[in-house]
Amino acid sequence: MANPAVRFQNVGQSFRVIQERPDTLREAFVHFFRRKPRSTHHDFEALKHISFDVPHGTTLGIIGRNGSGKSTILKIIAGVYRPSSGSVEVNGSIAPLIELGAGFHHELTGRENILINGLLLGLSKREIQRLEPAIIEFAEIGDFIDAPVKQYSSGMYMRLAFSVATAVDPDILLVDEILSVGDAGFRVKCFERIGNFREQGKTIILVSHDAEQIRDFCDRALLIHNGELIADTSPEAALARYEEVIGHPQPRTVSALPGG
Amino acid sequence: MLQLFSDVYRYRELIWALALKELRVRYKRSVLGFVWALLNPLMMMIILTLVFGSIMRFSIDHYAIFLLSMLLPWTFFSQALSYSVESVVSNAQLLKKVRVPKLVFPMAAVVANIINFLLSLLPLALLIVVLRFPLHWTWIYLPIPMVGLFLFTLGSAFFFAAINVFFRDISHIVQILLSAWFYASPIIYSLDFIPKKYHIFFRLNPMLYVLNGFRLSIYYGMLPSPGSTAMSLACGVAAVAIGFGLFCRYQDTFVYYI
Repeated sequence: MANPAVRFQNVGQSFRVIQERPDTLREAFVHFFRRKPRSTHHDFEALKHISFDVPHGTTLGIIGRNGSGKSTILKIIAGVYRPSSGSVEVNGSIAPLIELGAGFHHELTGRENILINGLLLGLSKREIQRLEPAIIEFAEIGDFIDAPVKQYSSGMYMRLAFSVATAVDPDILLVDEILSVGDAGFRVKCFERIGNFREQGKTIILVSHDAEQIRDFCDRALLIHNGELIADTSPEAALARYEEVIGHPQPRTVSALPGG
Repeated sequence: MLQLFSDVYRYRELIWALALKELRVRYKRSVLGFVWALLNPLMMMIILTLVFGSIMRFSIDHYAIFLLSMLLPWTFFSQALSYSVESVVSNAQLLKKVRVPKLVFPMAAVVANIINFLLSLLPLALLIVVLRFPLHWTWIYLPIPMVGLFLFTLGSAFFFAAINVFFRDISHIVQILLSAWFYASPIIYSLDFIPKKYHIFFRLNPMLYVLNGFRLSIYYGMLPSPGSTAMSLACGVAAVAIGFGLFCRYQDTFVYYI
């Protein structure tokens, strides 16, 4: 496989800042009649000229402060955003562990949600039926599988979501600091599964605040600061640079907060 | 249009699962569950029959059936539209996180209501038998006006769901539009009551052609003219071309506005 799993060439992503956009017809009319210049909005550049390659089989860490653009990179790889400039190449199937359980419906049972979530992630019904026992077993849900997920504890919810998302067997796994949730035992299991993916030669892209995770897991790390790529190097060097540029990385306890 | 067919085929399992989900959630936690899909229209029909059969009498024979022959497809149209207009926006959380084909959401809302509509034809047939009204052989023609109706509804669903992403007022406007549209269409009355010189305005309403086949087949036991059938299919195809075209053109930008 000569092509890299992911290649970013000079990628930029800008967002229009929302509060000044006419949100309703009334505002649109007002703007129209006042003949206000429509330049009341400004564009926010979330990413500026980002270029990097991720060869197949690499585990890449992305570090940076909240709001630095890490998650935006993952969303571009996942195909949620189309970059405003530059080009992105993705070779291989993707499983996004971006927000676990985003497609879950609270009134439906675990089993019904496995089906819908699996279909949303691009599996066929037959594949899901084949994988279902393994998904349920890994999630350790037991009899609750036929209860509506609104009755689940948050740990059960996360376990089921993680289990569905990783059952997809992707070429490229995108992980957005979700692994800081759940109890310690399940976290270990999650990391084991991610470790298996690594051994199978899959590509993993991991966004994290946790220096230890990056150090233990990644072959390489990117440091993003204010939308710019300021380091593309070994995890150790990237973490050292992080400390230099930003102050110290956040302590472990803080990483339990959702964010990105 | 071809694009639509291939996408629908590709995502058929997902669309079907989402449509069933919608129905399941609608009837969840009720003792009778799916029976409501049959019971609900049946109760409405009984009430209408009592009101128009004994209390208010019209010059139209068997007015309840006259009315229901168009009211059921209209109810489908208006419910499908009300559900689908919010369908993209209400899945914002999902669309922002995972790459999913956006067309499945309005599509699933329409499919869920198609199932409901088809189920509601059973109580109608039952009522017709009970009232000793003839169950015309022309019922077998119904799939053809249904194609026109479903396409027209789907096109409108795509159209309004897409605009609603950019202007949230649309979901309110659709409600008003639907009630105005209801009275502007000859559903509770017959076009015969309207002086000939105004017919020209009624003929501008696509719903006239889309609904016409239902009343002719169910109430009059007649087949619509080929011209009228062609018009209803043409309205359906045009609605899909416009609605789906608009939806496709803007779907990549949805994620920035929801």
